[in-house]
Amino acid sequence: MRVSYQWLSEYVDLGGVSPQALADALTSAGIEVESVRPRVERLRRVVVGRVVTCGPHPNADRLKVCTVDVGQDALLTIVCGAPNVAPGQRVPTALVGAELPGGRISQAKLRGVESQGMLCSAKEIGLEVRWLPKSQTEGLYLLPEDAPVGADVSSLLGLDDVILDLSLTPNRSDCLSLRGLAYEVAALLERPLRFLEPHLGDEVLDAGASPVRIELRTPRCPRYEAQVMIGVAGGPSPLWMQMRLLAMGVRPIDVVVDITNYVMLEWGQPLHAFDFDQVRRGTIVVRQAQPGERLATLDGQERVLDEDVIVIADAERAIGIAGVMGGENSEITASTRRVVVESAAFDAASVRRTGQRLGLRSEAQQRFEKGIDPVAVRGALLRARQLLQELAGAAPVGGVVCAEQERPAQPPLLDFSPRRANQLLGTDVAAAEMAAIFRRLGFSVQQLSEEKWQVGVPTRRADIRLEADLVEEIGRIHGYDDIPATLPVGPTTVGMRTQAQRLRKWTRETLAGLGMNEVFTYTLGHPDQLNALRLAEDSFYRKMIPLLRPMSDERIALRTHMLPGLAQVAAYNLSHGMTGGCIFEIGRVYWPRELPLREQPLERQQWAGLWFGEQAVRLWQAGRAYDFYDAKGVLEAWLTSLGLGLRAAFVPIQDADAPWLHPGRAAGVWIDGQIKVGTVGELHPETAQRLGIGGAVYAEFDLDKVDECLGGAWKAQPLPRYPAVRRDLAVLVPQAVSSAQLLAKAAQAAEQAGDILQDCRVFDVYVGPGVPEGQKSVAVAFTYQSDERTLTDEETEAVERAILRAWEQAFGARLRG
Amino acid sequence: MNTEQLQADIDNIRAAALRELEEIESESAPDAENASRRLEAWRVQYLGKKGLLAQVSRQMRELPKEERPRLGQVVNEAQRVLQDRLGRARQRVEELALFARLRQEHIDVTLPGRAPARGTIHPLTRVITEIEDVFLGMGFSIVEGPEVETDHYNFEMLNIPKDHPARDMQDTFYLTEELLLRTQTSPMQVRTMEKMRPFAPIKVICPGRVYRRDEDDATHSHAFNQIEGLVVDRGVRMSDLKGTLEQFARAIFGPNQEVRLRPSFFPFTEPSAEVDVRCTNCGGRGCRVCKHSGWLEILGAGMVHPHVLNGAGYDSREFSGFAFGMGPERIAMLKYGIEDIRLLYQNDLRLLRQFSSVF
Repeated sequence: MRVSYQWLSEYVDLGGVSPQALADALTSAGIEVESVRPRVERLRRVVVGRVVTCGPHPNADRLKVCTVDVGQDALLTIVCGAPNVAPGQRVPTALVGAELPGGRISQAKLRGVESQGMLCSAKEIGLEVRWLPKSQTEGLYLLPEDAPVGADVSSLLGLDDVILDLSLTPNRSDCLSLRGLAYEVAALLERPLRFLEPHLGDEVLDAGASPVRIELRTPRCPRYEAQVMIGVAGGPSPLWMQMRLLAMGVRPIDVVVDITNYVMLEWGQPLHAFDFDQVRRGTIVVRQAQPGERLATLDGQERVLDEDVIVIADAERAIGIAGVMGGENSEITASTRRVVVESAAFDAASVRRTGQRLGLRSEAQQRFEKGIDPVAVRGALLRARQLLQELAGAAPVGGVVCAEQERPAQPPLLDFSPRRANQLLGTDVAAAEMAAIFRRLGFSVQQLSEEKWQVGVPTRRADIRLEADLVEEIGRIHGYDDIPATLPVGPTTVGMRTQAQRLRKWTRETLAGLGMNEVFTYTLGHPDQLNALRLAEDSFYRKMIPLLRPMSDERIALRTHMLPGLAQVAAYNLSHGMTGGCIFEIGRVYWPRELPLREQPLERQQWAGLWFGEQAVRLWQAGRAYDFYDAKGVLEAWLTSLGLGLRAAFVPIQDADAPWLHPGRAAGVWIDGQIKVGTVGELHPETAQRLGIGGAVYAEFDLDKVDECLGGAWKAQPLPRYPAVRRDLAVLVPQAVSSAQLLAKAAQAAEQAGDILQDCRVFDVYVGPGVPEGQKSVAVAFTYQSDERTLTDEETEAVERAILRAWEQAFGARLRG
Repeated sequence: MNTEQLQADIDNIRAAALRELEEIESESAPDAENASRRLEAWRVQYLGKKGLLAQVSRQMRELPKEERPRLGQVVNEAQRVLQDRLGRARQRVEELALFARLRQEHIDVTLPGRAPARGTIHPLTRVITEIEDVFLGMGFSIVEGPEVETDHYNFEMLNIPKDHPARDMQDTFYLTEELLLRTQTSPMQVRTMEKMRPFAPIKVICPGRVYRRDEDDATHSHAFNQIEGLVVDRGVRMSDLKGTLEQFARAIFGPNQEVRLRPSFFPFTEPSAEVDVRCTNCGGRGCRVCKHSGWLEILGAGMVHPHVLNGAGYDSREFSGFAFGMGPERIAMLKYGIEDIRLLYQNDLRLLRQFSSVF
């Protein structure tokens, strides 16, 4: 909210307090001041000038030569290009040497005629033109006829003011008015308030003499007051009022609207004035709208209402939406004879919902939805009546008419204990100081005993409801800086990560150690991103949970799959000069149990990796594309580090399991042959092509499942006492036989032939000259060892023969000569 | 031929041989092949069957019998010394030869190493892990919760009823009437208390992703991370909040850090505070980063609101607590001088690879 320093200083003594000091005090008390700026950056030697004559320029059709009275002995000659210049006008006149926001004015010849200054537009003197009507921003800014010639424009228009921009937290709606803010400032700076209260008291409610009747037919309007006025002169409000509205960021409109806005800024109470002669049968009815009820609002829009909306109506029809916007049918026009001014309290939540539904967010609505001070309803109305009498020549018709469902709530009395306050804050503030702080805030204090106080809070501070709120007031006004820094004194607790958290951290560190780069992608995406994955129509990956109201076209639903995000990163990097890379992300996928969503979805922790493009060209190796084994090597190292190396098996996958992978170059990763924890494989060429990243290898693991597989305690094995024997065999087998099959068969045969095979692994696979078509040569290294004796050649050869026999029977394997 | 003369001959031969050997050694240093050739010639000349010492021995026959053994000893001694010396010279030459060969095999030690390049951990997880470790060290546990939350936990239980203006502080992505993407990690305050009650103390942090309907720009993101903290016990004070956050700030931003609390408003804390640290860029003198205030706002905090405590099953007359929430993106940006939050989600490898050092 914009606040005028000058206007505020009418309500609280700011003598000797600079705008910056005021801002600092407010900010440190929780009323954040975002900026402190002069209303106009620079404005000197600009005075009110009266245009005396206005003639053509000898050398330019579009310029005029004027003589201007600025209260000096001689008239000034000023060349002016504004089309609206005319004799008799009073306009801001920049004298020679004047400083304007746009620069300095010096004496100059304009097309051969000496100009002793400049006649100014609204923009040139720094007025807030965005809130001025177009008629006042085009051409010269015309001052009223009573503007004293020669007077300093800056002080006349309050342009020497300073504007504070407040960023208010939603609980402090009391500071949405100058009077409310004045209370706060008075308490903070220990300065006296000086409300220029008009003579408002002793108002006799003479409802009988007033032509208006009010009926409250909804509980959502606890209080409604109205005052009818007659003889309202239209036209603009006085210049000083327009200037104050402008300084606070409110558009001046006409005298009636300006007065209601002025009082709103002063009191925080929104008012609405409308044409009383349009209120049929003189009866204002406050009720909830009928479903489908229609009303054309002041902005010219036809609104369709529902029962949630509170409307102001007359005996027959709606004439306004309570707290949000008036209706066209009761708008004040040039022919309006009698005006009724409304000051009321409406249910905050209802006003808020209505505003949201209609897409409106007026100043009035913002105040209603945060809650207004019920005490201000009457005060604001009387203030408006006074201003209408003084400035618009209007006279009241009868008195204020008031309808209320309940008396305004009495200020609540809250229990308060100085000891508990100090305990909660960790401070040592004296009780006397606490009492003084409350009094400065305008709270009443009754000290029933040392420990038991009762604090009365005025209605304007609806944010204070509990003792804890009072404690905050003490802390806030006393100063948070005086709270010491201590540490909790309770029992010592152990802080450590859970196994699942350690698994994620270890995985991250291991993968980074193995050369992969961690990435962090957004979890909101678009279902179209799944198109590259070759998913079946009914694939559950397609069940992305949609947002009700997305912000953009691309991010409309929660991801079910990690690949699209990683592929986007790959594509980005490939298009930014990278030839390839290996990246991973640890994050969640969101799998709904059903759509439309009824309950919280499964949120699974996954890690996914993508090896794309070429490995970086290094000194020792030519660049080459990442292949399956690059990825598998990383996975094996990771699984081994988790103690799963021997329990994990890479099993060829079925196409339907992971259609985004190459069916011949992909594996599921199984633990103990029981639990599938992940998949790895080259991308299916179609997927790779549609993702636009060329060939790549993709792996994904469900970390929740991996977590379940992690083993418990284990013990070290004793070292072998007898030497191991290594023997190699190379055999020819059909291409389709996998190395896992060979090794499994070897282990099985060896076990039957004497349990001495300790390890066997493939160390070479060869296809080419010397190997028959359709076959491959596989070289296997066997390690034999016994923990009872040194093995003899006969023993190992016997096992070797058994293995060869088993291979021959199972796969037609032949020893390679 | 007398004994004295012969002895003198032997001494002369021995001296000449040693002198010559030294010459060979000093002259042929780089050329090991030439050196071995000359050593061999030397051996033949002095120690060979027809060498000088052998010739002298033969002359001994002309000496009187009783003189022979003494002189024989002299010859043997000379022979032993020269042999020994030759052995050492040969060793020396071999060493030289080896050194020369190894020098030939030199490599460019300034070329890059061959071990696989280490990968990198994302700056965000780096910062999150670092913050986690600080709080683990202070005895906090880490809890995690769902990103798809209920209105109940994200708002209602945190003292933010429907149609409350405080909901404007966090414009929300709704999935259904009741389900939403959490706008804060604060729902975990309530979930944790409900799970732990009546146990005390509770000391947890909760890192995780949160979502808000914000347009993405240099400082806003529709998705970002938060780390929530919660301590509940008997007698927890606001000063404990300040002290705990001061420890945190010093661990993350440096030992001389200060924290400043400013009054603020969150519906689920009372009293509430914004927490500032001394500007990490200028140290508090005032600069562009801190908008010349010397302070940087890094988190929001406060004492757990009595409604929240009571609603989650901890009687606010017996228990009190503090809570805080911080944004690791902001901390990462401050710590690493990253000026646009979107860079953290762009994953440009040229940026990520700068984070390869652990310290």
